[in-house]
Amino acid sequence: MVEFKHAQLGNGLDVIAEINSAAQSTAIGFMVKTGSRDETPEVAGVSHFLEHMMFKGTARRSSADVNREFDAMGARNNAFTSSEVTCYWAHVLPEFLPQSLDLLADMMRPSLRQEDFDMEKKVILEEIALYLDKPAHVLYEAVMADYFGPHALGKSVLGTHESISALSQPQMRQYFDARYGPGNMVLAVTGKMDFAELMDLAEKACGHWKHLDVQRRYEQPVAAPRRRHITDPKLKRHYIAMMCPGPSAQDENRYGAQVLADVIGDHDGSRMYWALVDPGLADEVDFSFYPHDHAGSFFVYASCDPARREQVEAILLNELKKAAADVADHEIQRSKTKIATGSVLGGELPLGRMRSMIARWIYNNEYKTLEEDLTRLQAIDHAEVCGVLRQYNFEPMTITSLGPPVG
Amino acid sequence: MSLSVDHTMQAVHSLPNGLTLVMERVPNVRSAAVCVLTPAGCMSDPADALGSSGVLADWLMRGAGDRDNRQLTEYMDSLGVQRSCAAETTFMRLSASMLSEQLPKVLPVLADIVQRPRLPDDGFAPAVDLSLQQLDAIEDEPSQKLALLLRRQHLPEPWGREVVGRREHLQALTAQKLRADYHRRFIPRGAIISIAGNIEFAAATAWVDKAFGGWQSGTPGNGSTKGDRPQRGVLHHHQQSNQVQIGLAWDSVPENSPQSIMAKTTRGILSGGMGARLFSEIREKQGLCYSVHVGYQAFKELGCFIGYAGTAPDRAQRTLDSFLVELRRLRQGAANDELQRCQIGMKSGLIMQGESSAARAGAIAFDYHHYGRPRTLDELRRQIEGVTLDGLNAWLAQTSFEPATVVTIGPQPLEVTLR
Repeated sequence: MVEFKHAQLGNGLDVIAEINSAAQSTAIGFMVKTGSRDETPEVAGVSHFLEHMMFKGTARRSSADVNREFDAMGARNNAFTSSEVTCYWAHVLPEFLPQSLDLLADMMRPSLRQEDFDMEKKVILEEIALYLDKPAHVLYEAVMADYFGPHALGKSVLGTHESISALSQPQMRQYFDARYGPGNMVLAVTGKMDFAELMDLAEKACGHWKHLDVQRRYEQPVAAPRRRHITDPKLKRHYIAMMCPGPSAQDENRYGAQVLADVIGDHDGSRMYWALVDPGLADEVDFSFYPHDHAGSFFVYASCDPARREQVEAILLNELKKAAADVADHEIQRSKTKIATGSVLGGELPLGRMRSMIARWIYNNEYKTLEEDLTRLQAIDHAEVCGVLRQYNFEPMTITSLGPPVG
Repeated sequence: MSLSVDHTMQAVHSLPNGLTLVMERVPNVRSAAVCVLTPAGCMSDPADALGSSGVLADWLMRGAGDRDNRQLTEYMDSLGVQRSCAAETTFMRLSASMLSEQLPKVLPVLADIVQRPRLPDDGFAPAVDLSLQQLDAIEDEPSQKLALLLRRQHLPEPWGREVVGRREHLQALTAQKLRADYHRRFIPRGAIISIAGNIEFAAATAWVDKAFGGWQSGTPGNGSTKGDRPQRGVLHHHQQSNQVQIGLAWDSVPENSPQSIMAKTTRGILSGGMGARLFSEIREKQGLCYSVHVGYQAFKELGCFIGYAGTAPDRAQRTLDSFLVELRRLRQGAANDELQRCQIGMKSGLIMQGESSAARAGAIAFDYHHYGRPRTLDELRRQIEGVTLDGLNAWLAQTSFEPATVVTIGPQPLEVTLR
């Protein structure tokens, strides 16, 4: 049985825990409500670059110390940055909870030394180059830019070679000082632990962080039918992405949208799978629901032979149109079972639970047990899914493609 | 015959037709995971039909037993089974994860896929088409292309094969030929089924006996034989990529060698964590690349190390040179704190693997293939702890870490002198 605990430090840092005394390990994470959408154009990519710099040492630790200490605990640890959040996590054996919390918390107050900044800038530029060799990533960033336009969610997480090259250490420090306030962060721990001990540790490690007022600007994206093809003569395949409005992470429609996305475009057994992958017209197809913070979208992705691009695109659009007319109850039931099993299997691992719990807290400021989530999922019926379809209708649609020259 | 290995946590059961069932109980989970390995990986592709196992992996899932393509998929979805079927080097691996109460319903479906696939005519062309598309997709991703070229250049036939195969072979493949090939390859002798998770051994054994007991035994076909010495040496593939892709390979011991734990520990010293040598020396201290690592790839018959780095063209030479410096430095041995970090990383990895039914199902199936029995997490822990600093350093001093093969992809070749 799991038990949920929540407490808040005096400076506003939320500490949430899902205690499972039968677990063999413990997962711990800090999530900060900041990402590329919170950047000004002059510092494009700073959130992600900063995420790297957080591993570069503190007043108490050098960069090599940070890495060595994680290794010495046998930790599986990493970090990621999205357009909306930055997360630092470690998966350790329960006896290392105090040490890993001390280390992660210390990292949250980094030195950001100039020489480390200069060295890590080179690594970031390599990461940008690495992703430029991945067509799916290039296309994803392009469709986000095309769909969201001037809206903050249209920005690249990595930034560009130019923006990163021009970024200075004081600019990063300023961004850090403005965003990494304890009230804009959450500490989550799942698995085996003693909560009272955890709170003592958290108070000691994070209690002295100064409170800070941090705001995120919310604007509604203006969707419009847009189309662009990006030509890259060296590519062998044609890659298609589409984006249209969907419910936000706070919208009650998000539950129905998740089921709907599975019915239409799960990688296996969905409508798009049968229409495109099964007959061999596309080797990959995906239709997903992306709930953002007070905005949301549906996302389509497919790759195919360049000669089939028109056919594949027409089928994708047709599947969306058809779904609005005839999504059936048995499909909804099947998708619910798939999603439920996925949640249970993912929830067996402390790391899986930590990641879903911490994001839920950041986006919705709430905790739900796995059972509560499953109950909500079970309650989804045909009427609810049709309600989502009526409200969103997959319009207007932005279509961005990447591949060899067309026409 | 039932052979009890550790009767509380693991069990092995041999069916008369030659199939082996390996099981492990995973505490505190609601899930069960199944892994079926049939010796039908790309190693067993006929020499003129390279890539056929990849096509077969797709074709197998297009209907089995009483269910056609769509019915099979919908039935498994209705049971909430997460599954995949993929050809690997040695085996075709059919995996399924589910809530454990679905196990008695899922095992007969997996048995249908393995023993009674429909291999429908109308599903053949799409399956081939998808494999051909994968070949093109690899051309679009230089890092995948590198992995393929490096393997082909370094490993002997048939281990050096890539599942995707050859375009001209795929184009010449016929449904009739591949169906015959299925019958040759899919036999219970040499096949392994493993189940891990929230299971009762007696019940699971009875379900497997019922579902797989009727699988007809056959004679294994002539597998591929070890081919000529691979080409090795230095290969540059010209491509206008943003990063230069650098791949290195050198031989090591096979998985079931008593030395394989030394190889795994050495891998940990080189690139086990963020404090390990490659990450620390090449990325952290010099900022030369984002991605740099080494893997130890081992089969029953042979093993090798594979190194990778991706970096900008103007820094590629320095990256390669630094990589070689790190490999050559291994001869001087590891420090005690390095070994300790590496061992604790390997041990905590084991405990975390022990929480996952799917990870354990895969691990015990391959244990059986390599060692003739599943190994417990405790045994694996003791093996890791059994490596002493003196033992490791003696091994490092007498082992060569000199790459025999260097493959690069990018705008310019690099200067490489192999010793």
